[in-house]
Amino acid sequence: MASVASRRTLIGGMTVIGLVVLWFGLTTFTGLVTGARFPSPAEFWLSLKQINGRGYAGSTLASHAFHSLKLVLMGFTVAVLTGVPLGLWMGWNRRVEAFINPVFLIIRPIPPLAWIPLAILWLGLGDAAKILVIWFSAFVPSVINAFTGVRNIDKPILEAARMLGTPRLRMVREVILPASLPMIFTGLRLSLQASWTTLVAAELVGALVGVGFVLNMAQQDIYPGMILVGMVTVGILGWVTTLLLARVERRALAWNVAARD
Amino acid sequence: MGSISFRNVDKVFGHGTGGVKALDDINLDIADKEFVAIVGPSGCGKTTCLRMVAGFEAASAGSVLVNGRPVTAPGPDRAVVFQQFALFPWKTVRENIELGLRNKNLPVGERNDLVASALKLMNLETHVDAFPHQLSGGMQQRVAIARAYVLDPEVLLMDEPFGALDAQTRVVMQEELVRLARHNPRTVLFITHAVEEAVYLADRVAIMTRRPGRIKEVLDIKAVRERENWDSHARIEDVMDLESFVHLRTHIWKSLREEKGFKDV
Amino acid sequence: MTSPPLGFRETVLLGLAGLVSFIGLWSFLSVSGIVPAQFLPGPLDVASRFVHLLTAPFAGATLPAHLASSFQRYAYGVLLAAAIGVPLGLLMGFFRLLDDIVTPIFDGLRFIAPIAWVPFAALWFGTGVGGPIMIIFAGAFPPCLINAYRGARFVEPRLIEAARMLGTPSSRMILEVLLPAAVPSIIAGLRVSAGLGWQSLVGAELIVAAAGVGFMMVQAQGSVQTPTVMAGMIAIGLVGMLIDVLLRQGEGWLRRRRGLDS
Repeated sequence: MASVASRRTLIGGMTVIGLVVLWFGLTTFTGLVTGARFPSPAEFWLSLKQINGRGYAGSTLASHAFHSLKLVLMGFTVAVLTGVPLGLWMGWNRRVEAFINPVFLIIRPIPPLAWIPLAILWLGLGDAAKILVIWFSAFVPSVINAFTGVRNIDKPILEAARMLGTPRLRMVREVILPASLPMIFTGLRLSLQASWTTLVAAELVGALVGVGFVLNMAQQDIYPGMILVGMVTVGILGWVTTLLLARVERRALAWNVAARD
Repeated sequence: MGSISFRNVDKVFGHGTGGVKALDDINLDIADKEFVAIVGPSGCGKTTCLRMVAGFEAASAGSVLVNGRPVTAPGPDRAVVFQQFALFPWKTVRENIELGLRNKNLPVGERNDLVASALKLMNLETHVDAFPHQLSGGMQQRVAIARAYVLDPEVLLMDEPFGALDAQTRVVMQEELVRLARHNPRTVLFITHAVEEAVYLADRVAIMTRRPGRIKEVLDIKAVRERENWDSHARIEDVMDLESFVHLRTHIWKSLREEKGFKDV
Repeated sequence: MTSPPLGFRETVLLGLAGLVSFIGLWSFLSVSGIVPAQFLPGPLDVASRFVHLLTAPFAGATLPAHLASSFQRYAYGVLLAAAIGVPLGLLMGFFRLLDDIVTPIFDGLRFIAPIAWVPFAALWFGTGVGGPIMIIFAGAFPPCLINAYRGARFVEPRLIEAARMLGTPSSRMILEVLLPAAVPSIIAGLRVSAGLGWQSLVGAELIVAAAGVGFMMVQAQGSVQTPTVMAGMIAIGLVGMLIDVLLRQGEGWLRRRRGLDS
C-alpha cells in the first residue's frame, strides 16, 4: 500500500509542478493567455503584495479574511445550535416531526442563496443580513442529519439503555446524542460548506468588507490578479475550517470505528 | 426472588385482518433461580416471549408476570443480554458496565466495588478502558453479560447471546455461563435455536412450535443432569458425549423436526 | 426508544396544524404591523403578486419569461457538467494514471465555493448567458465527476475480472461494463448536481445577469418591492422542487428496472 501512496504523491506532485509550468508558459513566456483574462504569476504576486500592503477594497487581505471567517463561524454556530437540537427533537418525537415536516418541506426547496435579497431588504448590507442567510443555509443540513442520526440508532442500543433504567435527561445526553454524533458531523460538514458558499455569494451581492467583497471589487475593476487572490483566499479559508472541523470530529468520535478508517 | 409466569399469552403483530398471530396461548412458569431455555424454529416467537418479559413488547392477551406482578415497562430488575451485544460504542468497558449502577443512584464507592467484581467475574480486568470496537465479539459479549450481572437483577434474559459468536468462542462462553449459573444462580430465560446449547445450559428446555408459536413440550434437564452428574465434567465436549445428553438432544431434535418448516431454518 | 409511528389521521392533523401555525404567524407579524408590511407582506399579498407577475412584466419580462431564461442557462450548465463530468469520472475510475493526475487538481479546487467563480466567469464569458452557465457548471460538476468515478472505481471486481477473462478491450470495458454498473451512482450524482446547479444559478443571477428570476429579485430588492422578491423565491422553490421530483421519479424507475429496490 505504501508504494501506491507514494506513487500518488509522486504523480500528484508532478501534476502540481506541471500546472505551475503551464501557468508560467501560457502567461509569462508565450503570452497566449493575456493578463486581461488570467493573471500571470507575477501579476498574482503583485496583487497579493498590494492587498497585504496598502490594502484593497478598503482593507488588507487579513482583515477581509478575518471578517468573513468571523461571519461564517457566527452563522454556522447559530445554525448548529438551533438546527441540531431541532433535528434531534424531531427524530425523537414523531409528533414534533409531523408538526414541523410540512413547513420544512415548503421552505426547503428555496435555495439559501435566494434568501439573500430578502435578507438585504430586512437587514441591509451589514453583518446581520449575512449571518441570517448563513443561518438559513447551514440550518437545513444540521436538522436533516441530526434527525436521520436519531432515526438510525440501532434499536437494541435504545432497548439496552431502557433496560438499564436510564432516566430521560441521561438518555439524551449519554445515548441519543452520542449515537447520532456521526450523522450530526456529516451534517456539520455540509453546513460548513453551505455557510461558505452563502457568505461568498452574499458578499458578492452586497457588502462593505470581506473576501466576497474583494472579489466583487476586483470584478468591477477588471483586475484578474486580485480576483485570483480572492479565490485562493476563499479556497484556503474553506480548507482550513473543514480541516478544523474534521479534527474536532476525530476527537469527538474517537470511539467510532468508521470515523477512524 | 425472581419468578416468571406466562399466563395464556397471545401476541398478534399488526391490526385487524392484516394481523399475524405470533404466539398462541403460551403458558410457562419459571421458578426463582431456575434456568429455562426456549428452543424453536426461526420465527416461532421465542424472542418475542423474552421481549415481553423485558417489557419491550406487550402481550395481546393473557399476562406476563414477574414475581407475580404484571410487566409494564423495561427495567433493571430484568436485565437483558442481546444477541448483537448492544453495547454503547462511545462508552468504555467500565462506563458500559457502570451505567445501570449510576441509574440506580448508587454511591461511587459501592459502584466501583460492584464494577470491579463484575470485571473480575467476566475476566475483563485488562480491558477496563477499551472501547467496544477494540474487543473481539466474545469479549464484547462478556461486557454485556457483566453489564447485566452487575445490576444483580431478579431475572436475566438472554436472547441468543452467543448467536453472533464463532464456534470456538461460543463453546468457551457456554462453559463460562455454566460456571456462573451454577455458582451464582439466577432466574434465567435463555432463547436459542441451538439445541445442544439449550440442553447443556438449562434446567428445563421448552420446545416451541412453528408460528403461531405454542409451547409444545417442556423437558426436565436438571433431573437428568444431577442424576448423571454432568457437572463433574469440566469440558462441554465431554458432557456432550454422554449417553444421557445425546438422548435428550436427539429427543429435542426429533420434536423440532416434526415442525413443518424446520428444514427452512 | 423513539415513539411508535403515528397514524395517518394524526400525521395529517399535526401537519396541517404546523402549516396553519406557520401561515398564521407570518400573517400575524405582517398584519399586526410588528414587522412593517413593506418588509414582510402577508401571504395573500405575496400570492396575489405571484399571480400578477405571471402576466405583468417586471424588470423587463414576466415571471414565466424570467423563469424560461433562467431555465435555459440552467439546462446548458447542468448538461455541460454532466457531459464532461461523467465521462471524465468513468475514465478516472478506469485509468489509474488519470485518477492520480486529476484528483489533486480536483482536491485543490474543491474548497473554492462555486459562486467564487463569478468574477472570472463574467470576465471570460460575459454576464449574459456564458458567465452564468460557467457558474452553474462549477456548482454541478463535482457531484457528476465524483459519482461517476466512485461508480466505476467500486464496480464489483468480479465483473471486471469476468470481462477481462472474456478478452474485452478497454473501450468496450468502459462502455459496456463500467458505465452500466455505475449508472445508479451516476444518476444519484446527477440529482445532487441538478440541485446544486439550480442553487448556483440563483446565486449567479443575483450577481451577474440581465434577465432571469434572480435578476428580477435583485431589481425588486433595489426598489424595495418585497412581495416581488418573495414571489421570486417561491417560483425558484417550485421549479427546484419540480426538478427534484422528476429526477427522483427517474431514479426510482431506473433502480426498479435494475432490481435495486423492490
